[in-house]
Amino acid sequence: MKQNSVAAGWLSVLCAGLGQWYNKQYSKGLLFVLIHATGVYLISTTLLTKIKGLITLGDQGQHLEKVGKIFKNVPGDHSIFMMIYGVLSVIIVALYIVFYILNIRDAVAVGRKRDSGSAVKGLNNDIFPWALLALPIIGVLFFTIMPIVFTSLLAFTNYASPNHIPPKNLVDWVGFDTFHKLFNMNVWADTFTGVLTWTIIWAVLATVTCYFGGILVALLINQQGIKLKGFWRMLFIIPYAIPQFVSLLIMRNMLNEKFGPINQYFRYFGLEGLPWLNDPFWAKVSVIVVNMWIGIPVSMVLVMGILTTIPKDLYEAADVDGASAWMKFRNITMPYVLFATAPILITQFAGNINSFNVIFLLTSGNPATMKYNNAGQTDLLVTWLYKLTLDFNQYNIAATVAILLFLIIAVMSVLLYSRTRSFKEEDMIQ
Amino acid sequence: MNKSKWLLVSLVLAMVFVLAACGGKENNDASSTPSASAPAATESASAPASEEAPAEEYLPEEGAKLVVWYSASEKALVDEAAKLYKEKYGIDIEYQDVGPDKSIEKMITDGPAGVGADVFLAVHDRLGSAVQAGVVLPNDLHGEESTANNSDKSVEALTIDGQLYGYPMSVETTAVFYNKDLFPDTNGEAPKDWNGVIEFAKKFNDAKAQKYAYMWEVGNGYWSWGFFGGYGGYVFGKDGTDPADIGLNNAGSVEAAKFFGSLKNLILPIKAADIKADIKTSLFNEGKLAMNVSGPWQVGEFKKSVANLGVMEYPTLPNGKPMMPFSGVKGFLVNANTKYPIAAKLFAELISSEALQAKNFELFGSLPSNKNVAASATVSGDPFASVFLKQFDNSTPMPKIAEMAGFWGTHEAALSSLWNDGADAQTTMDDWAKKVKDSNAAAQ
Repeated sequence: MKQNSVAAGWLSVLCAGLGQWYNKQYSKGLLFVLIHATGVYLISTTLLTKIKGLITLGDQGQHLEKVGKIFKNVPGDHSIFMMIYGVLSVIIVALYIVFYILNIRDAVAVGRKRDSGSAVKGLNNDIFPWALLALPIIGVLFFTIMPIVFTSLLAFTNYASPNHIPPKNLVDWVGFDTFHKLFNMNVWADTFTGVLTWTIIWAVLATVTCYFGGILVALLINQQGIKLKGFWRMLFIIPYAIPQFVSLLIMRNMLNEKFGPINQYFRYFGLEGLPWLNDPFWAKVSVIVVNMWIGIPVSMVLVMGILTTIPKDLYEAADVDGASAWMKFRNITMPYVLFATAPILITQFAGNINSFNVIFLLTSGNPATMKYNNAGQTDLLVTWLYKLTLDFNQYNIAATVAILLFLIIAVMSVLLYSRTRSFKEEDMIQ
Repeated sequence: MNKSKWLLVSLVLAMVFVLAACGGKENNDASSTPSASAPAATESASAPASEEAPAEEYLPEEGAKLVVWYSASEKALVDEAAKLYKEKYGIDIEYQDVGPDKSIEKMITDGPAGVGADVFLAVHDRLGSAVQAGVVLPNDLHGEESTANNSDKSVEALTIDGQLYGYPMSVETTAVFYNKDLFPDTNGEAPKDWNGVIEFAKKFNDAKAQKYAYMWEVGNGYWSWGFFGGYGGYVFGKDGTDPADIGLNNAGSVEAAKFFGSLKNLILPIKAADIKADIKTSLFNEGKLAMNVSGPWQVGEFKKSVANLGVMEYPTLPNGKPMMPFSGVKGFLVNANTKYPIAAKLFAELISSEALQAKNFELFGSLPSNKNVAASATVSGDPFASVFLKQFDNSTPMPKIAEMAGFWGTHEAALSSLWNDGADAQTTMDDWAKKVKDSNAAAQ
C-alpha cells in the first residue's frame, strides 16, 4: 500500500518532477523538470565558477600592457564584483536546494495521499496569492538579505585604501583580522572605544532629555488656565517642521564662539560666552541641547495624544480622595504615558544611536582630536562610519563597525523591549 | 500539509523568476559590459595603428560616443570643446556634472562597473589613488606634446613613476588678497613680510568691531601649509613620493609650528574652528578684513565688492624665505575602462590644448598650465593671474601618493592644538608625524 509514496519519493530524488509525473500531476511535473534542468544547467555552466570566485576573490587584477606607443588595458578580476555575483549565486543555489527538498517532500506527501486513496488535485486556481507572494520573496532575498550578507562579508576582507582597491589590486579574505585590528591595534582600538562610549552616553541622554522634555511641555500646555494653547503648540512644533539641514546649519553659525550671535548676546551683558563647539565638553552639551530643540516636539505631540485618552473619571476619583497634583501625575498620568510610549522610547533610543543629522550637520564630529583615528570628539559610530567609507575608503573597518553597531542596537532593543510593561502586560488597556 | 504545498509552489515561482533573471544577466555579461568588450574595441582600433607605427594619424573608434565629467559652473568650456570635437570627428559628447574634487573617487567605484566618464577633470593630488586602483590610462599618444607645451611643475604633478597620466589643464594656488583702502599710510600697499603684517595688525585689529588684519582658514592643512613649506618642512620625502620619510617633525617644520602658534596672539585671536570661509569672505567684503588669503576662483567675487582690490604673494617669513603654500594641478584623465580609448584621448588632448586653455582663462579666469598661454599678453598682463602664477612657482604641489589620506585625516587636530591651545611645537609635530605613520600602518 505504501508503494506510491516510496516510488514517487525516489523518483523525485532522481530528478525533480519525476515523482509528480508518477503521481499523475503532469503540468506540475513538467514545471519541476524544467526548473531542474535550468538549475542544473546554470549551476554547471556559471554558478559554480561564480561561487569559486567568491572563495578566491580573483587571482589576476586589471593591468596595462604597452603595445607600440599605446597602453592597452587588460581587464582582470574585480574582487568586489566577484563577491557580489558569488553571494547572488549562493542564494540561487540555496533556493534551488530548498526547491529540491520540497519537491521530494511534495512527491512523498502526494504519494501518501494516493496510498490512502484520496483524490489528487493538480495545480489549481489557488495559486494566485502565492504567485503574488513570490515577488516579495525575491525582493527580500535580493534587496534585503543580499546587501546585508555582502556588507558583513566585507568585514572579513582587506578591502581598504590604499593597497587593496580593485580593479588593479585584488581583495583577499583575511578572516577575523579586521576585528582583531579594531580591538587590539592602538589607533583603531582607542578610537572605537572612545567613540562607542560617547555614542551610548549620547543615545541615553538624547532619548531621556527629549522624552521627559516632551512630557513636560505637553503637560504644561495642557494645564488648566494656560491661555493660547494652540499658539503654544504651534510654537513648539515649528522646530520639527523646519528641515534639519537648514536649521542645524544655522545653529552651527549661531554657536560660533567668536562670530555667533549667542556669544555676542553674552558679550553684550559683559560675559565672555562659552566655547560652544570648540571645547569637547561644551560641544557635547551643544549637540544634546540642540537635539532637544529638535526632538521635544515629537514626544510632545505623542504625549498630548495620550493625555486625551486617559479617562477623566480617574482624576475625579483622585480628587475625591484628596490626591495632590504630584500624586495624580505619579499614579495616573505617568503610568499611562509610559505604558503607551515605551516601545516608541526604544525605537527612539535605537534611532539616536544612529542619529546622523544632528552630529554631522552641527559639529561634523569636531572638535578634532589627535587621540582618534579619522574621528573627532563628538563623532558617533555612524558618523565615523561615514568618514571611514566616504572620506578614507577604509571599507573593511567600516563594515566591521557596522556589524558591531547592528549587534549593539539589536541586543539593546530586544533586552529593553522584553522588559517593558507593554510587552509583559499586553492586556492592561483593553 | 497544505501550507508546505503552497510554500513549495511560491518557491517554484520564485525560482522561475530568479533563474530567468539570472539567465538574462549572463547574456548581458557577455555582450554589453565594457570589461568584456573594451579589449576587442581597443584591439581593432590599435591594430592598424601599430602596424603603421610612425604614422601620426589616430582616428576615433567607429560609433564612439563620449561622456565627460566637469563641474557645472564651468560647463561652457566643455560645450566649446564638444563643438570643436564634433566638427572635427563628428562624435557627440555627453556632459555630466561631476566636479574635479570628487571625480577620482567616483571613477574608482563607478569606472570598473562601466558607468564612468570616458574623460574627466581631476586634481592631481588624488592621482596616486587612481593609478593604484588602475582606473586611468597613461597619456601615451600625446605625452610628448603635453610635456613640451605645459609648465614643468604641472607635468610633474600629473606624472607617477616617470609615466605621464594626465593632460594638464590649469594650475591653482593661493595668495593674499588685500583691500588697498585699508592701507592709507603706505599708499595702499600691504606689508610684504610677516614683521610688517604683525606691526600692521597691532594698529588695525579691533576685536570688538571685528576688524582683523590678516585671515586664513587656520585649522586647514591646505591653507596653513605655506608656513611649514617655507621653513623647509615637508609631508613626505622625495618630492612627496616616499611615504617612509615623513618630514612633519623635522627642524624646519618645528620652527614653522612655533611661528604658526605664536601668530594667534599676535594677529588673529580666534580659535581655529571659528574661522570659516564664508565668515572670512563676508568680513573682507565689508571692509573689516584687510588681508584675505584665498584662491583665484574668488577674484571675480572680490572685484565686485572691494573697490580697490589688490593681490600679492604671501608675506615673506621671518627667516627671509618665501612661504610655500600647497598648489593643485588640474588635468584631464582618461578612464582605463573606456570603450573608446583613442576617441577619449583625442578629446582630452583637444580640451587641454592651447586654444581652449586660453578660452578657459577668458571665461573663468582659470590659470593656464600651458606655457604659451601663461606667457600671452592677456594672462601675464592680468594683475591677478600674473601674481597667482608667480605664487605657483613658489608653491609645493600637494603630494599625490595615496598615503596623503593619513595627512588629511590628522591635519585639523594637529593644527588646532598648535593654534588653540598653544601646544608645544616639538611635541605636537612629533605626534602628528607618528599619527600619519600610524594611520598608514592601520590602513595596510
